[in-house]
This record gives sequence, structure tokens and C-alpha cells, in this order.
Amino acid sequence: MTELHPEMHERRILGTELLWAFGVGVLVAATLSMIVFTALTMNINPPSNVERIDPKALHLSGEFAEHNLGTTVAADGSVTTRVVATQFMFVPRCIAVPQGRRVTLRFSTPDVIHGLLITGTNVNTMVVPGYVAQVHTEFTRSGDLLMPCHEYCGIGHSEMWATVQVLPEGEFKPDSEGKVSCAQR
Amino acid sequence: MSEPRISEPHVLDQPWRVWATVTVLAIVIIGVILGVVVIPVVQGRSAGIDAYTAICRALGILPGSPAEPQPFDRTPSTPVSQVTWTPEVLQILARADPERGRAKVAEVCVACHGEQGVAVVPEVPNLAGQSGAAIYKQLHDYRTDSRTHPQMSVIAKALEDAQIADVAAYYAGQPKRNPDPATLAESPAAIVRLVELGDPARNIPPCAACHRPGAGGPIEAPILSEQDRDYLIAQLKMYASGERRNDVYGRMRTIAARLTPAEIAGLARYYRAGFK
Amino acid sequence: MRNVERLCLAHFWVAFGAFLAAAVLGTWQMWVRSPLGADVGTPGQYFMSVTAHGVAMGYVLTTFFIMGFGYFVAVTALARPLPGKAWAWFAFWMSIVGVIMTTVPIATGSASVLFTFYPPLTGSPWFYIGLVLVVVGSWIWCVLMIVAMAAWKRENAGRPVPLAMFGTVANAIMWLWTTVGVAAELLFQVIPAALGLTQTIDVGLARTLFSWTLHAIVYFWLLPAYIAFYTMAPRAAGGRLYSDTMGRLTFILFLIYSLPVGMHHLLMDPEHGNGTKFIQVLLTAFVSAPTLLTIFTITASLEIAGRLRGGRGLFGWIAALPWDRPMVLAVGLSFVMLGFGGFGGLINMGYGMNAMIHNTSWVTAHFHLIFGGSVVIMYFAIAYEIWPRLTGRGYTSLAPLRAQLWLWFIGMMVMTLPWHWLGLQGQWRRVANFNYADPIIAGWGPWVIVSFVAGLVLLASALLFVRNLLVLHLSPQAAIARPLYALAVHPPQRVPAALNGFALWNVLVLIVMALAYGYPIAQFAIAPSPSAIVHRIE
Repeated sequence: MTELHPEMHERRILGTELLWAFGVGVLVAATLSMIVFTALTMNINPPSNVERIDPKALHLSGEFAEHNLGTTVAADGSVTTRVVATQFMFVPRCIAVPQGRRVTLRFSTPDVIHGLLITGTNVNTMVVPGYVAQVHTEFTRSGDLLMPCHEYCGIGHSEMWATVQVLPEGEFKPDSEGKVSCAQR
Repeated sequence: MSEPRISEPHVLDQPWRVWATVTVLAIVIIGVILGVVVIPVVQGRSAGIDAYTAICRALGILPGSPAEPQPFDRTPSTPVSQVTWTPEVLQILARADPERGRAKVAEVCVACHGEQGVAVVPEVPNLAGQSGAAIYKQLHDYRTDSRTHPQMSVIAKALEDAQIADVAAYYAGQPKRNPDPATLAESPAAIVRLVELGDPARNIPPCAACHRPGAGGPIEAPILSEQDRDYLIAQLKMYASGERRNDVYGRMRTIAARLTPAEIAGLARYYRAGFK
Repeated sequence: MRNVERLCLAHFWVAFGAFLAAAVLGTWQMWVRSPLGADVGTPGQYFMSVTAHGVAMGYVLTTFFIMGFGYFVAVTALARPLPGKAWAWFAFWMSIVGVIMTTVPIATGSASVLFTFYPPLTGSPWFYIGLVLVVVGSWIWCVLMIVAMAAWKRENAGRPVPLAMFGTVANAIMWLWTTVGVAAELLFQVIPAALGLTQTIDVGLARTLFSWTLHAIVYFWLLPAYIAFYTMAPRAAGGRLYSDTMGRLTFILFLIYSLPVGMHHLLMDPEHGNGTKFIQVLLTAFVSAPTLLTIFTITASLEIAGRLRGGRGLFGWIAALPWDRPMVLAVGLSFVMLGFGGFGGLINMGYGMNAMIHNTSWVTAHFHLIFGGSVVIMYFAIAYEIWPRLTGRGYTSLAPLRAQLWLWFIGMMVMTLPWHWLGLQGQWRRVANFNYADPIIAGWGPWVIVSFVAGLVLLASALLFVRNLLVLHLSPQAAIARPLYALAVHPPQRVPAALNGFALWNVLVLIVMALAYGYPIAQFAIAPSPSAIVHRIE
């Protein structure tokens, strides 16, 4: 048998593998550190809100009854938008949100699984029957954004989308009940 | 090479058992500590949420985010329909007796809706082969004034839940039999497109997505095939104007408001012809 | 080898037949959703096709291929006949019945629920029962793999199990753990609902149980490719495997870390808290480790081959590799796709970035690239490598094989890279027809067409693949006997039980799954979510 090249000695092979494994460990640790760092300093979280609600009686509930949907400004100035995802429409199909202010979006569904995203933002959540899906965000740029349903919810899924109007501060005016509707254009 | 020796388990395996267990468990425990304790508590501090609440929210025991206050605003409202599809209601529908229904129908419904569910008075809906859940909902809505009609409101208020279910089951069991073949050849492509593809630009899903039986859409969606033409046109117009408002979450109101009069007439003809 | 030829070929032809049908459907789907096919097909037909495509590619191609390959490895790597061959045939026929039972409702439109099921949308019970039969057939395969390895160990006490079989049994054990989730969901929730025994379903629990299966299943699909990387590629390149131990560790790491990470498919779901999601995200970071380790070890193995063939200098060994051999070419192309797809996976794992791309075309792009690309191209390479042994015939020319692999690589890259880009712009998934009149969506149109054209290239490659295998059956040339499995630079004489069996690892999997999934599932018993009405698709 010919003399084995030093690179091929068993200890050397083990050494290189361990060195590489250490490098992999550093990569894994770096990725996780980034996630922990953004969680601690920027409050980056996945949208989680384990709040149960009966889908069968959703339209009877105070919060998600038809009249109460859309954007409402509370007495303390907090902005909450409530949207229902159904087969095959978001209700209301246009929502108005303020630019530069913290907004809480609450979604629920009386029927099947839906999902939504708002283009150009970090709003992305599933809407699961039995739960209220909640997302906290701040819209930084004014304009009209698209909010499609992005999870298969049946044959009419492709036609299900809504519009989000991000209104600059001056145009975002609540009415006497604190509700803000889309500007008619 | 010499005969391979039997491995000595204790010498080779003990370190593996120990270190593998320690490593894997350490990883998981670090994850638990970071995810359930450290991150929520630190996030809660910046939002004024106490540690216990923050941890409960992170586990999902309490609703909300550990990093943001939870909104409270709750307004009482009048729902547009009182019908909820609970297991109890579905049980009532499942236990319905079409024979009792036939007796009730003969007493109350035949004058307008006919014995087989084919309307004998104009602008009255055909009920033959209609979805039992759809009939149940409309009668129930008449009873609670979610939907109003001079005769139907009075009639429905005299019926109990079980009787409504019986009537619904009876008519649902009546076969469809009355397409209008003269209109079969006339369905324009635009109408067929609305029924099968909808119109994404106007947020209109295909009619078939809800109104074709077995499509997997809303439980209460009525079957439109062979429905009376004038009745369909009248209902779509009432939805469009908001005069009829018992569609949960306004889906038909929204869709009808976006249909042109020509489309409404075309759809009514399409379904009258017996297409599904 | 005589022992299992027909068994393996039967499994492979079912797999590749389903693959070809699914490729046709996939191409049709891309046409329909592009501006070119705006008036073609109804949503009902589109979602029927999506369901069929997903079931065929995700459940039939994979399960049958893996079973067939497993039987092949059990006989060739262990050099003994397959135990329980009658059971293997029974499992095959039961799975065939299951496939037929599933396909009929899909074809009649009674099961357009996609291969991920989406309760409370509920299809025909036969759809689900058919899939259960396929899974039970695969369980029989798992048991046979475990029995084969145990029998070999009894006859070869103290010797290390051949790496190819070790990897196969790791995969089998992982599959047994993986299928618990979907089996529970189907048997206790979805099938009773489909049969009309229950009228409501707890959707949160169903999604959680399915997520248990959903990530680990992709590693079930992936492990055969890694078995080929470790045990076939070095031999095909003319070299040695750099480290046998690293191969064993890779399979073990996959077994432990593929399972307790399913919740990263539910990062955007409301039914779980941040903390439980974080735990599984942390574990997900660790499942990237075996892939990264493999890239190093296999590259080192190929470097040995390259230098043995005269390659000089830092990178000269790359050109010296025998790229004319399909297995070597496939490994190279697979690694390129693995790089892109794996990078996408790291993005998906961070929930901050996940929020940008969840349920957009990015996700579709990711799994087509990493599974349809890196993994399936290795399925092709494995088939090409072992077909001569199964048929006794030899290739008259390797050029069509290489052409097919190149077409697959080019098609997959050109199809998926625009999808990644469109996903970042917000293009969402499972759409039968887009409103191309909308200015934002109109801008996507040209890229959708580019992907569609690449899909046609993939279809051509799929047809060429099947043609290459068929032609081999009729080849005039006899197969040339060649060693199949690679030797390690230092073949192990003795390995610890931990690297030669799975007792320790099964215990650890149980503990880790209890910690990762215990509370997330238990919460549905402690505080049941209000259930949703079943929506029947008939």
C-alpha cells in the first residue's frame, strides 16, 4: 500500500470536519442571534394572538358584526382596524389607515382558512376559523396598497382581494363614532 | 486485515449517549428560555406589560402580543341575520321530516310556491330542489325581521324551528324539472365568464363558486339553477340598493352593486335556463 | 439482485408515471395563470389540477421512488435477499389501490382541497382513505427496512452497517415519526368529517397536526438524494468518501432536527404563541447543519476524485472531474440549486423575513427549486445509475442522459428565479387567474410568461427522462458490472452503537418532540378552539 498523503490521515480528516462544523455552528449561532437581537430591540415577532372566537356566531359578536368593521379610532387615540375574511370577500373591501401611526389590525373568519398580506408592508397573517388574527404595524408611506387573500379558500379564491388606503395625517379624519372610511376617488 | 473485533459497548457508547443527550437537550432548553422567558419579558418592559402577562402571551395562554398593548374597544351591534350554523341547527336540519313538511306545505305554501316547488304566482321563487339550509335561513330571517316581505314575514312568524326545517327538507327533496330550453342557446360568453370565472377586477368571484351545489362555499348559498327570472332580477336589484340586507357580511350586496343591469338580466336568463 | 428487480422496477415506474402526468398538469397550470391563458380553464379545473399535481409529486412520486430505492439498497448494500418480500408486494398493491382511490375523486372534482388538505374544506372520504392506504403501505416498507438492517446486524455482529443502508433506515424511522401527525389529523378529524360523522372540525388542531408532518416529509424526500451524495457520487467520480462518520452523523442530525420544526410552517398562524414558535425556529436553524456539513464532505470527496484524475492547483480538480458521467453532473447541478434553495430556506426561517414572503410565489419558488430541483435531479441520477442493474441492459450513449439533466436544471432555475422575485413583490399563491389589467399585476405578467416557458423546458426534460429509461429496457447492449457504492478514505472497522443504530436517537426524538410539540398540541385539549363548520366539496 502506498504511503497515504498527510491530508488523508484520519486525524487530519477529522480535524477538517470539526473545523467546518465549528464554522457551521458559527453560522447557525449568527442567524439565531440576529433573530433574538431583532426580537429584543425592535420587538420583531411573528403575528401571534391566541384569542379564540366562535366562527359560527361571528356575525352576531359585538366586535365582528358588520356595522363594527373597518377602522375605528378609540378614545385614547389608538387605531384598530377590524376586517372579516369570508368566502370570497374581505369585509369591508376597502380600509383606511393612517400614515405614521401604530395600527392594530384584527381579522377573523366565519368559514374557512384564509390568509392575507398587504403589499409593500410587513403585514402577513393567516386567518383561521376559531381565532382572531392580530397584526401590529405602522404604515410608513401613503398611497393605495393591495391586500389579497393568499391562502386557498375555495373556488372563488382568485377574486378575493381588498384595498388599503394609507392616508396622510391630514386626510385621516374619524367621524362622530370614531370610524374612518375610505376616501371616495 | 485482522478479524474485526466485537465493539465494547461501554467504552464506545457511553460518551455518545451522554454528550448527545446533553447537547440536544441544551439546545431545546436554551430555546425555551429565550423564547418563553427572555424575549417576552424584555419586550413587555418596553410596552409596560408585566412579566407574567408577557410570558402567558408568549405561550398563547393569554391573547395578545408580549410587545404591544391589547385593544379593548367593543361595540354592541345589530347583526343582519340571527342564523348561526351550529351543530344544534345542523341536527335540526338533519332530523327534519319531509312528510311533516309536505303537510305543512299543503297548509301554508302551495298557494304561491306550488306543491312541487314550482311557483304558481309570478315573481315568487321556485323552491324545488333548493338547498335545505338556504330555505331554513330565509324563513328564519323572515321570522326575525332580518328580511321582510308582506306575506312571508307573517307566515314565518307562525312557524317554529322544527317546522321550518321540515318545510325546507320537503322542498329540497323535490326534483328540479322545469328548465326553459328556449334560452339555452342564448347565453353570451360574457355571462358564462361571470358564472365560471368571475371578474377579479371587480372583486366578483365566480357565481358557481358559491351557488353551484358541492362547490364548498357558504352553507346558506341558495342553488340558482331553474330559479324564476323575475325573482332573481328583483333580488339582485334589492341587494344592490341595500333594501335586502340579510346576506351575512354583505357579500351579495357588494357583488350586486357592481353588476350592470345587462349582466343581471343575463344571469337571470342563464339560471332560468337550467344551467348550474 | 435478482431478488428485487421486478419489485424495484414496479415502484419506479409508478413513481415516474405519476411524475410525468403531474409535469403535464403543472405546465397547464402555468399556462392558465399566465396572461397567455387568461381565458382558458375554470377555477374548478385549475384547483383540481393543483390538487392532482401536488398529490402526484408530493405523495406518489416520492413514496414509491423511496420505497423502490430502499428495497434496492437493502439488497445491494447488505448483500443479502430482502426479508419479507411478500409483504413488500402486498404493500405495493395496497398503495396502488390507495392511489386509484385518491385519483378518482380528484378527477371528478370532489377533492379539490390541494395536497395540504385545508380543513374545513372537505372532499370525498375516498380521497383521504386512499392516501391513508399509501401511507400504511409505506409503513410496511419502513418495518421491512428496519428488519433487514437488524437481520444483517445479527449476522455481522460488531461491524458497521453499510452507510447506504444506515441512511435508508434513518429515513424509514424518520418517516414513521413523521406520519404520526397527518395520520392523526386524517383518522381523528378529517375522515370522520368527510364521512359525515362529524359536522365541525377544530381547524387549529388540524393545522398543527399537519405541520408535524409537513416539514419532516420534505426530509423524507431529501434523504435518498443525500444517500446518493454519500454513497454513490464519490464512486461515480472515481474517488473516495471523505468521511463515513460524517455521513452517519448527517443522517442522525436529520432524524433529530427534521421533526420538531414543523411549526415554522405556522409562523403566521394565530393559534400558537410567540414563544412556542421561537423554540421551533431555533431548532430549525439546527436542521441547516447537516446540509452544510454534507456540502463540505461531498465537495472534499469530489476533490479527492479530481486530484486522483490529475487536477492541480486550488480549483483545477473541478475541471478534472468526469462531468460526462450523469451521477457526477447531477451532483454538481444539484449543489447549485441547493445553494439557492437553501439560502431561501434560511430566509423563510426568520419570522421577520417570513412575513415578507409567506404564501407568496417565493414559497412556491423555494420548494420547486429545492425539492423539484436539487432532490428530483438526484432521483433522476439514482435511476440512471441503477437502471442497468435492474434491467441488465447498458446505455449505448450517455449524451441523452446529460441533456435531460441539463434541461431540468436550466428549466428549474429559469422557472423558479422569477418566482422568487415576484414573491418579493407580493404576488400571492394559488390563483387561477390574475387581473392583468391592474397596473401592479400587469408588471408581473412578463415574468409569469418566462416561468411558463421554462416550465415547457421542464416538461421536455420529463419526457426525455422517461424516454431514456424506456430505451434502456430495449438496449442491445448488456450492462457492464461496476461497483456501485463508494468506499470511505478510512472505512470504519468499529463504530459506536450510536452511529450504528437508532435506539438512543429514538429516545431523543421522543423527548424533543414532547418539548417542542407537547404544549402546542395539548393546548387544544386544555382550551379547545371553537370549531368550524365543515364545507363539503362534492
